[in-house]
Amino acid sequence: MKPNLFNGFWAVTVKEFKHLLRDKGSVGLAIMLPIFQVVMYGYAIDFDVRHITTVLVDYDHSRESREYVARLHATQYLDFDRKADNEAEAVQMLRANTARVAVVIPPDFSRNVLAGKRAQVGVLVDGSDSQVSFRARTAFLGVQAGSDPPALSLSNVDVRTNVLFNPTSKTSTFMIPGLIGLILQIVLVSLTSGSIVREREQGSLEQLMVSPVGKYGLIFGKLFPFMVLAIGQMTLVLGLGYFLFDVTVAGNLALLYACTFPFVLASLSLGLFISAVAQNQAQAAQLSTFAFLPAILISGFIFPRETMPGFLQLVSLALPLTHELNVLRGIVVRGAGLAELWPSVLAMWVIAGLLLAAASAKFQKSIA
Amino acid sequence: MSDGNAIKTTALTKKFGDFTAVDALEINVRKGSIFGFLGPNGSGKSTAIRMLAGLLTPTSGQATVNGFDVVKDSEAVKQSIGYMSQSFALYKDLSVLENLDFFGGVYGLKGAHLEERKQAVIDLVGIHPYLERRAGLLSGGWRQRLALAAAIIHEPELLFLDEPTAGIDPVARRDLWDLLFRLAAEGKTLFVTTHYMDEAERCDDIAYIYLSKLMVKGSPIELKALPEVSPEGTRRVAVAAHRPALALAALRQAKFVHDATLVESEVHLVVDASTSDGSVVDFAKKAGIEDPAIRPIEPSLEDVFVALTRGLAKV
Repeated sequence: MKPNLFNGFWAVTVKEFKHLLRDKGSVGLAIMLPIFQVVMYGYAIDFDVRHITTVLVDYDHSRESREYVARLHATQYLDFDRKADNEAEAVQMLRANTARVAVVIPPDFSRNVLAGKRAQVGVLVDGSDSQVSFRARTAFLGVQAGSDPPALSLSNVDVRTNVLFNPTSKTSTFMIPGLIGLILQIVLVSLTSGSIVREREQGSLEQLMVSPVGKYGLIFGKLFPFMVLAIGQMTLVLGLGYFLFDVTVAGNLALLYACTFPFVLASLSLGLFISAVAQNQAQAAQLSTFAFLPAILISGFIFPRETMPGFLQLVSLALPLTHELNVLRGIVVRGAGLAELWPSVLAMWVIAGLLLAAASAKFQKSIA
Repeated sequence: MSDGNAIKTTALTKKFGDFTAVDALEINVRKGSIFGFLGPNGSGKSTAIRMLAGLLTPTSGQATVNGFDVVKDSEAVKQSIGYMSQSFALYKDLSVLENLDFFGGVYGLKGAHLEERKQAVIDLVGIHPYLERRAGLLSGGWRQRLALAAAIIHEPELLFLDEPTAGIDPVARRDLWDLLFRLAAEGKTLFVTTHYMDEAERCDDIAYIYLSKLMVKGSPIELKALPEVSPEGTRRVAVAAHRPALALAALRQAKFVHDATLVESEVHLVVDASTSDGSVVDFAKKAGIEDPAIRPIEPSLEDVFVALTRGLAKV
């Protein structure tokens, strides 16, 4: 007789749905948390943002244009890490989130400056992060106010700013999509992290292990109800965002759900992993709280990742929420598609796969 | 394949690092018998059961359960056994029926067959009045009945019962044993661990495991006849007295007494075989015990295990 690893999937699924619906705490958490968070973060505060990734389109290639860029750079708000040949290419970088701001210097820039005329510079700002767009504009103001070296009237440059993707720089447009990721992570990790520990504490895990229930039948039977819950939560936050803050989805709604699936899987696997490691339910709760901290602080949920030291930025790449935020803000605010977002989606699948493998290996050990 | 044994182990051993939890265990459990697996806590009983149930892989040795090898055929083993643990292992937030549905589903029962089996186990344990009640709200006795019902819903040939009556009241204990006897009468094999000696007396065969090793095995009658239990040159008597605790203290002073203990309202003694009943009574009277009555007795299973464990502890 070959072991069927998926044996018992439906029985476990039905049972887990009943546990979920019967636990008033879980239901309360699943409904109240999104409402509370949306209202709270909907009115978030601005933070000082520096080192915004900026793409330069320099049609002028002159000493004066380089001097102007150097001064913008000296404000510390903009980092000119990227170059593009034309504006279309720069816009594409903004959409793909490889740059946040584009500075376009027209071919007549040096001629106008040297002639003492008012030169023009075009600026494109990604408005999907309201803080970034605000700070980027500050950088230009800083250069305007600065003193000029003799014979170079760079403070007289006419900056034409064009905010893409969230023209009014509303905080809620920036926060709501991010909240979907945060709420999914909090609810899914904390609910799943309790599930295996609870079975072990009450002795039912042993009862399951002497039965022919398959390893994957048990794991996926436990995860499936939470996947359904995740779809509901996402819809709830999108609905609240739409009715309370007029946040609409610029991109494809179906794509939004599809691209979020690997994130859901990663969060559930993380919860399962915690569940298999923890000795008891209290410890599981502590560990899952511990997992939120980096997620909130370094994923880019509140503080843009550009402001962090390089090593933290690397660490943040290991967090599924970092990639999910890019997907959420990309689709909801910038109207991006899979063509721009596939690296994030792929990263989440990889993280989810690793976490799930780790969780089932740990799970296997924890029952023996 | 079926040689009349439900369980057969050969040098079954489990090591955790340097620690040997089960050391070369050899037992045969006859089909249809009630087998008592006894021993102090921590002696390796649970580890042995976990190997037999396919939860743990033996370090060495072999075991077959219902004719299936526990390592190579663990899935077939799992389908053919039921397991009921000492702690209530079902879901407290699910009703009686929902628990039965779940465990039926896990064993692959569905549709009419599942309904038929549910009805059969409900009838057997008599839990009709509480079908919609959440398992967490049942009393201890009813919880164990539900656990038994869930453990046999897939009609296992062999049932492992790990201290099934720990912590339930005497009436519920007796009711549960009545159910177990009915299962045995249907031809099921029962593998029971317990610390209750009256339960051990009810078993057809007993194995006693101590410090990871099998010490003795046999029927209760065979065990009581073991020479280690009643050392040569001694015999057992019971002395009844009005104040048994005083009698115990007094008789312990006697030179001819090897061991003394209180059982119910009698003092059980191991005395020199050369000491007559009369001299025991005389000694008691001199010590101020009123109206002592003496009778010869056979060792109980408790005597057997106390004697064996103490004898081994001295070595």
